[in-house]
Amino acid sequence: MTFVILIVLIFSPVIAGAGESAKAVKLQFALNWKAEPEFGGFYAAKLSGAFQTKNLDVEITEGGAGTPVVQMVANSKVRFGIAAADEVVISQARGTDVVALFAVYQINPQGIMAHPERGFKSIGDVFNTRGTLAIQSGSPHTLFLQSQFRGYKVKLVPYAGGIATFLTDPNYSQQCFVTSEPLIARKKGKPARSFLIADAGFRPYGTVMIARRQFVERNQKQTRDLIDAVREGWIEYLRSPEAANNLMAKLNPAMDGDTMKEAAEVQKPFILASGASPQELGKMSVERWTELVDQLYGIKLIKTKPAADKLFRIF
Amino acid sequence: MKPNARIASILPPLLPLLVTMGVFEIAVRSGWVPSYLIPAPTEVFRSLIDDRVELATAAWTTLSSALVGLLLSFSAGTLFAIALSTSDLARRAFYPYAVFFQTVPIIAIAPLLVIWFGFGQPTVIASAAIVSVFPIIASTLLGLKSTEPALVDLFALYSATTRQILYMLKIPFALPQIFSGLRIASGLAVVGAIVGEFIGGGGLGSIVDSARTQQRIDRVFAAVLISALLGVVLVGAVNFVSALALGSWHTSERKTS
Amino acid sequence: MNSDLHPGQRKSGAAVVCEGIARAFTGTGLVLDHITFQIQPGEFVALLGPSGSGKSSLLRLTAGLDRADEGRLAIDAGQEAVSRGFVFQEPTLIPWRNVLRNTTLPLELQGWNIDRARTRAEEELRRVRLADFAARYPHELSGGMKMRTSVARALITRPNLLLLDEPFAALDEPTRHALQQQLREIWAALGMTVLFVTHSISEAVFLADRVIVLSPRPARILLDSAINLPPARAAPLRTSLNYIQEMSHISAAVPNPEANA
Repeated sequence: MTFVILIVLIFSPVIAGAGESAKAVKLQFALNWKAEPEFGGFYAAKLSGAFQTKNLDVEITEGGAGTPVVQMVANSKVRFGIAAADEVVISQARGTDVVALFAVYQINPQGIMAHPERGFKSIGDVFNTRGTLAIQSGSPHTLFLQSQFRGYKVKLVPYAGGIATFLTDPNYSQQCFVTSEPLIARKKGKPARSFLIADAGFRPYGTVMIARRQFVERNQKQTRDLIDAVREGWIEYLRSPEAANNLMAKLNPAMDGDTMKEAAEVQKPFILASGASPQELGKMSVERWTELVDQLYGIKLIKTKPAADKLFRIF
Repeated sequence: MKPNARIASILPPLLPLLVTMGVFEIAVRSGWVPSYLIPAPTEVFRSLIDDRVELATAAWTTLSSALVGLLLSFSAGTLFAIALSTSDLARRAFYPYAVFFQTVPIIAIAPLLVIWFGFGQPTVIASAAIVSVFPIIASTLLGLKSTEPALVDLFALYSATTRQILYMLKIPFALPQIFSGLRIASGLAVVGAIVGEFIGGGGLGSIVDSARTQQRIDRVFAAVLISALLGVVLVGAVNFVSALALGSWHTSERKTS
Repeated sequence: MNSDLHPGQRKSGAAVVCEGIARAFTGTGLVLDHITFQIQPGEFVALLGPSGSGKSSLLRLTAGLDRADEGRLAIDAGQEAVSRGFVFQEPTLIPWRNVLRNTTLPLELQGWNIDRARTRAEEELRRVRLADFAARYPHELSGGMKMRTSVARALITRPNLLLLDEPFAALDEPTRHALQQQLREIWAALGMTVLFVTHSISEAVFLADRVIVLSPRPARILLDSAINLPPARAAPLRTSLNYIQEMSHISAAVPNPEANA
């Protein structure tokens, strides 16, 4: 009898431990940039326990320039990731089966910022006036704008991130997230005039959550739970971003707390139209995806057009 | 060389290349290796052919930037090394800073270069020069130090001036080492030019940047291949000049000494 | 042999006075232990000693390439300035210069006009019988020819003190013998003071009028003796009884290397 009790005692931690780890599912979620209000809802979901109540142990990892999130998801190195909508289309066109699950931005905050003294009224003005424009070469939005404004006069130069040159050169314009860089520039004494690329006609969803279709189909409940938790996190973040901002400020010292607070505020209308129901957060339409496929085909980024309804799943 | 002998000399390096390319081709086509990791060699060739005009123009831009950068680093580097070689104190004072040029990560200071030199070729040339200068300094210094001691004595015996010692003895003796450093520097100049182009724009660097953004790995490989070729061209040019300058005496001396 | 008398040809040399010369090197210790001797103008003196005995160091001190730690080393050429020529162990020719330009080097360093230097060089090359090879480069020459170029180079400034550091050691015996004879003839024709360092007893006796024997490190003078042989030294001498007697005499003073091991 004592022998049995001893065995039970010895193995009970193992049993208890096994039981506990069998409960929460570990998931890795890779971002494609450093922690910023752009990802605030995800961190809010983690902090508020939204993931935990659904037995999900989500590990969020930051990314940086060139982090190959789509490859990481396609290779199952991570379960979920953040990518641009056009990356989903291009990957699908090349036979990589990743799908979009949740779009943070209904209105894409990608834009062009310029010095107000230049007197620009639109992106067209930027392109058709002599000067310098730093924009990511080869990017869909770049190719789109280049084809929109053929015969443009501005000199296109590589975009290396940051606003260092913007601050020093009055003839320099650059691509930006309208919710982010212009705020930092104003803080540093150089307020900027920014224009949405969406207003020029290119309006993919922004900051899209992706996963392998195969994983989603085989783990529908888990995926649904995750998206629900993500939605809750964004609702929480839109309501009160402080907790998540504090965490993100610690993770990413490049952005200070005040700027985060401001960015979180400024980005609200891009995430959810005023008056819309919070349950609409993250949802996507086949029309928008079809438009994107057509545009990407038009600028020759893809040679075949994948079916738009295969590119995303609604949860 | 007889035709058979020529084939025999090309075969050893060519065979492994063909076999490797064949293996990769099969691996990618069969789906065993995903195409976003490594492109099939035929895809790379197709890129080379489809984009040949763009690649050629870009290659010319990168080559000219690398060449100018190399000339700059060669002039500055050899002058600097000669100056350091004349004074032990000067060498101990300044050489450590030359090492800095070797260790500074160019990709980190390239954005600074843009602020100083602006977008376009000036930045690219500066980047190529910075990356290629240290091997020239190091090998020139080494060459200047490795003059035969007996000849140094001979010059001292006749009370030769510093100028005489430099021009008639030390520099000619240092030429083999200098060319050796120039060889290394020429490959680095191409690398520096391409890194500079990532930030400053233009040339093969911007093709790599844009292809990377579009995940066109085949285009990336095509551009990388061309840039490797540029390196080969530059090294070949250095070898040519080296053979002219050193003539037959160098290799023969090496054999008989 | 050829003893043309050119205008300005040397027939007198420098006198060398060594008093208590000491030289030590870090790591090696004392190399020259208070050496004292005198050389008269125009003498042909051989410095004989084993390898590492410091004889090369003594030669360098005489050449002005090094300074002694103690003692006095004075070279006096009377009315003229002291002018030295040095022939190294290796020919040490400049590889990218031909024989003629290697020979003109000392004059170039002294600022001579190149055409005058060339004329002088041709003279010296005739003296060492290399006139036909003036356009050749060092890598095309045999060891003996390179050494002869080195000698011509040393002679071109008409030095009053000619210093040689085991110049023929690396050559094969027939070449060595031939060059020894040529050197003696050159000395006979020009008459400068010669200080010849060697580890070979036969070479020292054949060449010199006087032999100074050095002990192994730290070097002291073991013997300073005149050589009683006719002034003209030719091949038959090498097998003569006198020559062998002189060699025994010198040999007796040279320490047995086994004894010091």
